Amino acid sequence: MTNAYAAVQWNRHKKVYDLLIAVGVFGYLALFFLGGRLLFPPPDDFSDEILLIRAFGTCAILLLHLILAIGPLARLDARFAPLLYNRRHLGVSFFLVALVHALLVTGYYGAFGVQPAPEAVLAGYVAAARPGAFPFEVLGFFALCIFFLMAATSHDFWLANLGAGVWKALHMLVYLAYALVIAHVAFGALQDQVSGFFAGALGLAAVGLIGLHLFAGLRENSRAAAPPAAEEWVDAGPAAGLRDGCARVVVLRDAERIAVFRHGDDLHAVSNVCAHQAGPLGEGRILDGCITCPWHGYQYLPHNGQSPPPFTEKIPTFRLKVAGGRILLDPRPLPPGTPVAPAPLSQEAV
Amino acid sequence: MPWIPPLLTGLGVYLAVGLVIAIPFVARGVNCVDPAAAHAPARFRLLILPGCAALWPLMLVKWLRARARRGA
Repeated sequence: MTNAYAAVQWNRHKKVYDLLIAVGVFGYLALFFLGGRLLFPPPDDFSDEILLIRAFGTCAILLLHLILAIGPLARLDARFAPLLYNRRHLGVSFFLVALVHALLVTGYYGAFGVQPAPEAVLAGYVAAARPGAFPFEVLGFFALCIFFLMAATSHDFWLANLGAGVWKALHMLVYLAYALVIAHVAFGALQDQVSGFFAGALGLAAVGLIGLHLFAGLRENSRAAAPPAAEEWVDAGPAAGLRDGCARVVVLRDAERIAVFRHGDDLHAVSNVCAHQAGPLGEGRILDGCITCPWHGYQYLPHNGQSPPPFTEKIPTFRLKVAGGRILLDPRPLPPGTPVAPAPLSQEAV
Repeated sequence: MPWIPPLLTGLGVYLAVGLVIAIPFVARGVNCVDPAAAHAPARFRLLILPGCAALWPLMLVKWLRARARRGA
């Protein structure tokens, strides 16, 4: 973790994840290219460059939607949580695909060096080809700049050196970039379509994505824990039904999230926010005796919220007790790394 | 759009300056700024190079401050 930086902290899950990304991306590109050749034979065929531009462009759009859907999907259903893990490799892969799309466009419409290519694409192409048309290339360019910044600052080094607030704000720009991409496609490629199929598909995808985010947020709010009852304890749900090694995420009225983990016959409560990149700890599991973040595998001991030595990350802990078959939580956070005695599950709850 | 060529030129100059600063920064400067990078491998340094070139004013300030702290 923060012991010393490595280029990539590889493990088996990351290797499988990256292999699936590579197979998916190259498989899609090959299918698109070969399908385009078969569906549009001469004389109505497209040039290889146009087909490649469209293959990389559509691949980037699909990857972007997948990346933005993973977060809310994982909050709605824990079965999507493995997709969260290593999502930044998916993000960097997406940026590389989008970059190849941009380079191909720049090369092709800049006549591969005959004209000054970037200027030809950004300033000259639209005006020459379709007078009065909206300069959609500029929108794609600004979106690509944001994606570059995000990909370039995805390493842990940047979180540590920019600070969590700046880093998070920088990466929240993805939503602005997404809007730019949608406008880029709507004012660009979709203007040439006659069937309306791609416009419908893109509109559906955008509405679906926004709806997914709204639904996940609303459902989380509706599950917010009841206000503190007697003393300071908050009802965190029934003790029964919590699977060993897994967590229940309790959302307090002030939107703070607390992960209540079951480890054997003991219950522990820690902040749901990973000290690394604010990953959702409650969507992770207890592995090798440690709460393991589903995003990048950062680990914390359940009883004190400290990363195992030699690592130094700490998260806040919370007091728990079980009464009448219910888990009761003290919503006041203890300082990060504070040891707390576990709340034993009663035999009937197990 | 007449503002496109100067924008691209400005961006190119900014990134070129950034690259000139980022190369010595990832080779040596980063060790002062973040002790966890002191024994980091070359691949890590290569990985943070684009970000350092893009955010070079920030990294330069951090580097100078770290050097000043060491000198104090």
